[in-house]
Amino acid sequence: MKIFFSELYFELKKNRGAMIGVVVIIISVFIALFAPLIAPHNPTEIFADALRLPPVFVQGGRAGYFFGTDDIGRDLLSRLIYGSRISLAVGFSVVIIALISGTFLGVIAGFYGGFTDRIIMRLTDLIMSLPSILFAIVIVAVLGPGITNAIIAVSVVAVPNFIRIIRAQVMVEKNRQYVFAAKLFGASSFRIMFIEILPNCMAPLIVQASLGFSDGILNVAALGFLGLGAQAPMSEWGTMLSDARSFIESSPWMVTLPGICILVTVLSFNLLGDGLRDALDPRLKKQN
Amino acid sequence: MKTILIILFIAQFQNQAFAKNFVYCSEGSPSSFNAQLVTDGTSVNATAATLYNNLVGFEEGTTKIIPSLASSWEISKDKLVYTFNLRKGVKFHTTKYFAPTRDFNATDVVFSIDRMRVKTHPFHDVSGGKYEYFDGMEMGKTIKEVKILDPYKVQITLSNQDATFLANMAMSFMNILSEEYGSKLAGANKKSDIDNFPVGTGAFLFQSYAKDSVIKYSNNPQFWGKHGNIDKLIFAITPDANVRHQKLKTNECQFVNEPSPSDIAEMKKNPALKVMQDAGLNVGYLSMNVTKKPFDNLLVRQAINHALNKKSYIDAIYLGNAVVAKNPIPPTIWSYNDSVKDYEYSVEKAKALLAKAGLANGFETEMWTLPVSRPYNPNGKKMGELMQADLAKVGIKVKLLSFDWPTYLKKASQGEHQMLQMGWTGDNGDPDNFLNTLLGCGSIASGSNYSKWCDQKFNKDVVDAKTTTDVKKRTALYKDAQKIFKEQAPWATIAHSTVFKAMAKNVKGYKIDPLGHDNFTNVSVE
Repeated sequence: MKIFFSELYFELKKNRGAMIGVVVIIISVFIALFAPLIAPHNPTEIFADALRLPPVFVQGGRAGYFFGTDDIGRDLLSRLIYGSRISLAVGFSVVIIALISGTFLGVIAGFYGGFTDRIIMRLTDLIMSLPSILFAIVIVAVLGPGITNAIIAVSVVAVPNFIRIIRAQVMVEKNRQYVFAAKLFGASSFRIMFIEILPNCMAPLIVQASLGFSDGILNVAALGFLGLGAQAPMSEWGTMLSDARSFIESSPWMVTLPGICILVTVLSFNLLGDGLRDALDPRLKKQN
Repeated sequence: MKTILIILFIAQFQNQAFAKNFVYCSEGSPSSFNAQLVTDGTSVNATAATLYNNLVGFEEGTTKIIPSLASSWEISKDKLVYTFNLRKGVKFHTTKYFAPTRDFNATDVVFSIDRMRVKTHPFHDVSGGKYEYFDGMEMGKTIKEVKILDPYKVQITLSNQDATFLANMAMSFMNILSEEYGSKLAGANKKSDIDNFPVGTGAFLFQSYAKDSVIKYSNNPQFWGKHGNIDKLIFAITPDANVRHQKLKTNECQFVNEPSPSDIAEMKKNPALKVMQDAGLNVGYLSMNVTKKPFDNLLVRQAINHALNKKSYIDAIYLGNAVVAKNPIPPTIWSYNDSVKDYEYSVEKAKALLAKAGLANGFETEMWTLPVSRPYNPNGKKMGELMQADLAKVGIKVKLLSFDWPTYLKKASQGEHQMLQMGWTGDNGDPDNFLNTLLGCGSIASGSNYSKWCDQKFNKDVVDAKTTTDVKKRTALYKDAQKIFKEQAPWATIAHSTVFKAMAKNVKGYKIDPLGHDNFTNVSVE
């Protein structure tokens, strides 16, 4: 395992885009972890005398509000910093939930085949036949708006990807010699599935996890934009974007800044994901 | 085929550009083309204000009652019998689907009023048979009889004195339909066409309608009154306020409905545009459901009134275009009680009151935030966040909730809420339309008293005031009612907002209607 990761790092280092992604991710994780120390203000504190101030480097800006304030006088920089907490936590939880359940179902489907496989795969087909964001909206509409429910909805939508990837991999691996050897030694199905086969399916899983991270962030931001995600006064980038939409002409920074934050975070996860794929799957690399 | 149609459509549109046409960017589709059936401003703009006239009308830009299809009227000594003398020589619209053979007369008046009033009327059940406005104003109860004295004289007898009767007669739902058109449709068995292919006496006649896209009217060449120079009036239905603003900038439309407050500054700067403003006949408020704990406790309601920093809402939500409200009626309405003192913003007082109520540690509750943008509250969600922060300071933890607009109204009428953001734009300029409609005991059942607050003293004041016609007496009663209201605090009154109208510079003759409707009868384009 240790060799696996050091090799991975070696390959990854050659990819400049992926390294930029990694750096940005590390910075944002740092910001999110230490938000209370970094943020100049409480993100929900309202400064009634400082409505819709532009950023400090634009004319009309005021010191103390680096990125300006929003329409009811809350410091934008602080809100963006706290927003990164939510976005990263959301991305992380979505990936964890989808990864665990997707892997479990995918391994079972791939290993047992037959009836179990058919049931699981038809279910994933069902979910994938619906536009993912629409399906997430339906789930949130049923469960009620809120950040937890948004995470559940987005996770459900993300699960089929994991199931498919793992299942394909397991179907290849289960006919390998080492699996037969394990069977001959009398290993249980559980052991074969999760201790013998699973570690050999790690590569595509890691790639999918990092891409799922960005999908999760994006989808939760979209739900927030539609008013179905984080609820007031929580500062979430998607919600901030939709709140500021009507001020796009008079106060463009209010809508631009959260947009840039989403863009940069999602882009860096995508870069990392691409880099990981190149590093882990040499065949794909040659094609490019 | 489709492409040809589109090309034809575009060609037609370009031809029209040479006539005096006027494009109005409205925000939604009307629910009907008969004003009797509608209550919302969007539908009223597309019906009552363009197509129809009433017996009496409001003078443009005011709530003063002036003659319209009735050239004069007499009121009996006991204030129960109204005799209307009808205008002679008024022609109904000649359209593709109907050509009138006679002028407007008394049968049309009886036909129109009885359609709503008499359950056995042949047209009563057409289009659902629900006349929400007519019933809401209790006109069915008030009107005892409508009688033809001669072809140009109609007598309406009331069952009780009603000071608001003439004002109600001027409201949108009392529009006059053509009896001749009705009987022609009844003969052809197409009764429901009366609400879809309208025939009225107004300054514009109906041409065509495509749902969620466009309504076309043309000038009524036989209009009986004064009018502007518009040949073609087009409603371009544009739900997004930002898009409406863009369309106005590019002169795709000459007038926009409900400009977003955040665009006003930009519009004022634009030399090609004109922005008009006026004090709105409205009130935005936070209603507390007095049937739910802890809002049944007067001290709690007063504490919430003290805890809200209303001034800060004016700047943040209304962008300064509003005044803080202390009474449930706006200051432009007569009988406004200026001596009422509002609860001042004071965290300490709020905390003290809560402690007195036995809730020193605060409590948890829910607030519903307005899901639509209205002049009396342009951004319910943001106002909710401000209120949430204010109430948190006195220890009240608020959860914000919202629903889509029809659900919101339905659940609120049933009293499912604890605290609720609401507002009201006046219908006829009478204080009764605010105080009785929103706070009277009778309105609990009909749903518009969202606080479910029934105070006997208050209710006696507003009911007495409704059944007398002496303005002095009514003023005194309403002033007293406002005092009781403030003491009992079923609402936290928030704001009376300014109403904005934005149009192209060459639009002349438009007057802001205090009742919030857009009427283009006297509008000209240069």
